[in-house]
Amino acid sequence: MFKLFKKDLRLFFHDQRSVILTFLLPVILISLFAFAYGGIGVFDGRSEPVNLLVTDLDQSGSSKEIVNKIDSLEDMRIIISDSIKAKELVIKGKYPCALFIYKGFQDSLEAGNATPIELVYDRSREMEISILQQNLISTLMSSTSEVRIKKNIEKYLQELFPDDENNISDEIFAAVIKNDRNKQAIKWIPIVGIKNDTKLGLIQAVAGTAIMMLLFSVAGVGTSILEEKENGTINRLLYSPLKGSAILYGKMLFAFFISILQLTTMFLFAWLILNMDLSVNIPALILMIMATAFAVSSLGIFLAAIARTRQQAQNLSTIIILIMSAIGGSMIPLFIMPSILQKIALLSVNYWGIQGFYDLFWRTLPLEAILPKILILISIGIILTLASIQLFKKRIMKSS
Amino acid sequence: MIQLRSVSKSFGNIEAVKNVSFSIDKGEIFGILGPNGAGKSTIVNILNTLVRPDKGDVIIDGVNIRNDGDTIKLIMGIVPQEIALYEELSALENLIFWGGLYNIPKSVLMNNINNTLEIVDLSYRKNDRIKTFSGGMKRRINIACSLLHNPKILVLDEPTVGVDPQNRNHIFEVIERLNSEGMTIIYTTHYMEEAERFCDKIAIIDVGSIIAQGTLKELRKISDVKDLITVKLVDSDKEVITRITSANPLFRFDSTSDTLKVESGNISKDVSIIINHIQNSGGVIERIYTQGTNLESIFLKLTGKKLRD
Repeated sequence: MFKLFKKDLRLFFHDQRSVILTFLLPVILISLFAFAYGGIGVFDGRSEPVNLLVTDLDQSGSSKEIVNKIDSLEDMRIIISDSIKAKELVIKGKYPCALFIYKGFQDSLEAGNATPIELVYDRSREMEISILQQNLISTLMSSTSEVRIKKNIEKYLQELFPDDENNISDEIFAAVIKNDRNKQAIKWIPIVGIKNDTKLGLIQAVAGTAIMMLLFSVAGVGTSILEEKENGTINRLLYSPLKGSAILYGKMLFAFFISILQLTTMFLFAWLILNMDLSVNIPALILMIMATAFAVSSLGIFLAAIARTRQQAQNLSTIIILIMSAIGGSMIPLFIMPSILQKIALLSVNYWGIQGFYDLFWRTLPLEAILPKILILISIGIILTLASIQLFKKRIMKSS
Repeated sequence: MIQLRSVSKSFGNIEAVKNVSFSIDKGEIFGILGPNGAGKSTIVNILNTLVRPDKGDVIIDGVNIRNDGDTIKLIMGIVPQEIALYEELSALENLIFWGGLYNIPKSVLMNNINNTLEIVDLSYRKNDRIKTFSGGMKRRINIACSLLHNPKILVLDEPTVGVDPQNRNHIFEVIERLNSEGMTIIYTTHYMEEAERFCDKIAIIDVGSIIAQGTLKELRKISDVKDLITVKLVDSDKEVITRITSANPLFRFDSTSDTLKVESGNISKDVSIIINHIQNSGGVIERIYTQGTNLESIFLKLTGKKLRD
């Protein structure tokens, strides 16, 4: 078994293309996905701010105050523009949206009428718009409410004390708003992702991509069994004193080793180059790598076992890996998928691997809490290994 | 050395080997001759315990393959029909790997590797990757990989398929050298000239059954195939030909090749008689061809079909 393992290892390192596909390509993809998911960037720990074009046609005190408040928001960057240019820029796709504060804004506000304010946006950029909506609406609501409250206080005092020239409305307003803010304020306390500096996007990129690429590498190892069958080396191995089962175990050992090597390389790359903090829970990380490698390598061997020819195995592997990676969260983060897909994802190896790494790096859960996912990965590996052994005995050994 | 007694093997509804029996003495070269799909490779796989026979017994060097397959694997060296090598590895790496499967001590293995490389005359290419070798060279390394554990019996399954004449001769020399050193050799082929060249005994197999077996002389006798004398006349005058064939019914005229053909039990004696008969009948001879009995004609006679059909 170890002789076969050593031979496969030698063959693997002789084949430069395999080495590049196993190590370099995943590293490139991880870097790309990390950028795409916002795991790397100048705004440390936060997503990029959304650019908002603002056209203030009212130029009143109230409109200027609102613009200033929006500008003070962390997730938004204000770009002042004129009316015609702003719409054009959104249409051309340069910016996701533009806010128009029309003339009469302050008057309407004071009169308690509907305010002439509108937001034009590009529907294709709904993700940015949703971030913006959340912040913008609350800012606008509170700002306009405050202006209205102030005006109502002034109006009421005027009616109550028409001759009083002492303006105490500002003091009353400050007291009301203070109380109101105190009552309505919700304290936002992040409890997940606070112990580790690693960004969620980076964890998603590393775990998702590493598992997907691992599946491709291991499927290649699996199909090499069929290649050996086709070129006659399996028969020659069986002519030797080697037992048939040793051939399969040798391949599995090689697939498992390559999986561990590939995952370790990916995490080391993420640590050294992308500043991913691996030190959160080293024993859990080692167990997660080993369990994921075992489950994934078993799946790769199983895919080869159910195919009859190398070509069939390659096609089958590509289809199954792509589907599993898509629904399992390797390509798209699971939390943005519909709930039905999130349930189907439970059937994929990718899901359990990625969620395990989320638990480890993002939720920073202790080993006991990650253990169920590790056990599920090991169970997947055992079931697929047993199935592969039976299929290989039937299809490879006997038909040789 | 090897005895097969009434061995049969089926794969589903296909009877690959039917009631096959033969015996091979130590130091013999035994040829198994038959067309593609005749059952040659199944017999090879039965001999090496890869395929378990449904019926019959196989005794190799006193060991029944049903009882001790592991010992059989050490006695036998199998050269598969395919070039079963790792193309990305060098010749030496391949030899170390394949030899290493037999748990030979490293120093002994390295010594065996050097010897076999010398036998197949490829020592000078040992560090080159197999993918850079010609087809014939690959075939020679394919043989070398089966010799590393010093087997008593070497089975070569169609070892010259797709090999150029020069490399083919090289392979023949290797086989003859190994045999001269006392190795028992089983050689499956569908090339008659190869079987004729060095097989002490030949079994002719077709559709899973052995049709005939023995030495070439014995096969000739079994099949009752005679040598053939072919005569081409200068002028194929119908009158002359009628005169020749009517006077001696052994003569038959082959209109397609425009020649006279005579089967002969003794060419050297019959040639002068034939020449006299033709000349006496007024015929003028342009050429005479003689064709001795060969496996092609024996196979044709026994099976009614050509070996390469």
